[in-house]
Amino acid sequence: MKNNIIILGGGQAGIYAAREIRQNDSKLNIKILSEENLLPYERPPLSKDFLLDKKKEEDLYFHSSDVLKNENIEFENISINKVDFENKKLFAKNDNVYSYDSLLISTGSENKKLTLDNNLKNDIYYLRNLEEAKKIKEIVSNKNKITIIGGGFIGLEIASSLSQLQKKVIVIEIGNQLMGRIIPKQIADLVQNTHIEHGNEIILNKQIEKITKKNGDYEILLNDNSLIETDFIIAGIGSTPTVKLFENTNLKLDNGIVTNQFCETSIKDVYAAGDVSNFYHPFYERNMRLESYQHAQNHGICAGKNIAGVKTEYTSIPWMWSDQFNLNLQLTGICNDYDEIIERGNDINNGVIYFFLKNKIIRGACGLGIAGKIGRDIRITSKLSEKNTIVDKQILSDQNLKLNKLIQK
Amino acid sequence: MSEENWIEVGSTDSIEEEDLIRFDHQDKTFCVYKLTDGFYATDGICTHEAVHLEDGLVMDDEIECPMHQGIFNIKSGEALSPPACEDLKTYPVKVDNDKIFIKIN
Ligand SMILES: Cc1cc2nc3c(=O)[nH]c(=O)nc-3n(C[C@H](O)[C@H](O)[C@H](O)COP(=O)(O)OP(=O)(O)OC[C@H]3O[C@@H](n4cnc5c(N)ncnc54)[C@H](O)[C@@H]3O)c2cc1C
Ligand code: FES
Repeated sequence: MKNNIIILGGGQAGIYAAREIRQNDSKLNIKILSEENLLPYERPPLSKDFLLDKKKEEDLYFHSSDVLKNENIEFENISINKVDFENKKLFAKNDNVYSYDSLLISTGSENKKLTLDNNLKNDIYYLRNLEEAKKIKEIVSNKNKITIIGGGFIGLEIASSLSQLQKKVIVIEIGNQLMGRIIPKQIADLVQNTHIEHGNEIILNKQIEKITKKNGDYEILLNDNSLIETDFIIAGIGSTPTVKLFENTNLKLDNGIVTNQFCETSIKDVYAAGDVSNFYHPFYERNMRLESYQHAQNHGICAGKNIAGVKTEYTSIPWMWSDQFNLNLQLTGICNDYDEIIERGNDINNGVIYFFLKNKIIRGACGLGIAGKIGRDIRITSKLSEKNTIVDKQILSDQNLKLNKLIQK
Repeated sequence: MSEENWIEVGSTDSIEEEDLIRFDHQDKTFCVYKLTDGFYATDGICTHEAVHLEDGLVMDDEIECPMHQGIFNIKSGEALSPPACEDLKTYPVKVDNDKIFIKIN
């Protein structure tokens, strides 16, 4: 008999799994162990509306404590620092021991850190959780010239928010385009132009050689010997799955915790979901790790079902968004395995979408537009790709032809 | 309520089935939908952020927000999927002589 379910990590995947288990089973004991002393909350606003003060802390929580109480889901603020899979036990710093029958690992991911002199460790800020967001918000109120190291989604979202707070922002990116190679260069350039139009400075193809502290401010030396003076530095240089705890165990790790399509890990009764898991996707017939809101939710729900005994394959088509200024970027499906690209539109006011096709079948798309301009077409792309549809290219490339018809029954 | 509260939106063939149109009236904006069993109306702006639902996808009785895929039931306005968590306001709709009217107050 399985009685005790432990969910390690109280983020998005964790809470959705907990509620799904409860929906399927009213008797199991469900306990979430969370190192953050906060009920599960949404992270996307941390780099956007929370910094802009459009959303407050209380707007971020997925559910109130009443919902957890009503559903009899226990939530404990504790950091686990040792696991014993053989005896099905978790150990906390304060010597508490937790026994489980089934375990879900949903420890998320953590920010990569710059390798720097020790004396600068506390000077560079990173953004992953609410506490860090609060800190950044408080400090930037007295700063004017802020440097963001890393031109990925989170760095650029922070750059957009700080620009809207009337700060002078400089973004330094090591690659030759923003947001990484998976984003079509044309879309990366449109995003870059928007940052520049709003007064942000974007520096590409440059590496940081040295950071020096000077009278409370900083000097950043780049590899072309140019110097940037700045009074605050935030780094967003990517993230890694939070797996340190499992490094010396039998749990199979490879860019996260390796799971199959049922969220099962290499150890019986141990599941993983969300950012931390490198899961097998039966539709693409390969493993992948995603860091996205929609995935954390759906993967958590799928893990919940499987833990509760409802065997369910995870087949969700990947989807994520990034909001910068009034732009909304969306990615769906697979955008790095194609033999043809089709462009739809060329103006961000009406939306620009690049479709990625392989053997004439739509595999994915990346779009950019003002507010929700590209949302419907991206959603339709997800549905088309799910069905392996061969689509008339004329319809894809002509913005005057609606895509709705392609999915109607 | 008095007759004046019914505002004319347009003709019934101005909306395709399982689709929507945007309708602006004074300083307010709405979405008017044609579903298989008739016409419906909701507020135009998503309850999550200030984005118009006119670019969203209608599927059965649901409208999916084009920005972050929050989902609402068109008939009840109920928020069905995060990040949308606040319900969408709905409005009565009637059809008279092939014209759609919505009751705004
Ligand atoms: C600033 C920011 C902006 C984002 N914006 C977007 C966006 O616009 N669109 C989008 O699609 N996605 C966005 N994301 C990504 C999305 O928020 C994540 O993919 C999602 O939160 C992952 O959920 P998760 O449950 O896997 O992990 P998390 O939500 O990170 O939760 C993991 C939890 O586990 C806890 N934990 C870890 N180790 C332990 C331990 N040993 N003991 C106890 N607890 C532990 C952590 O403290 C954390 O609370 C953003 C993320 C960030 C950080
Ligand atoms: S704006 Fe509609 S879900 Fe976010």
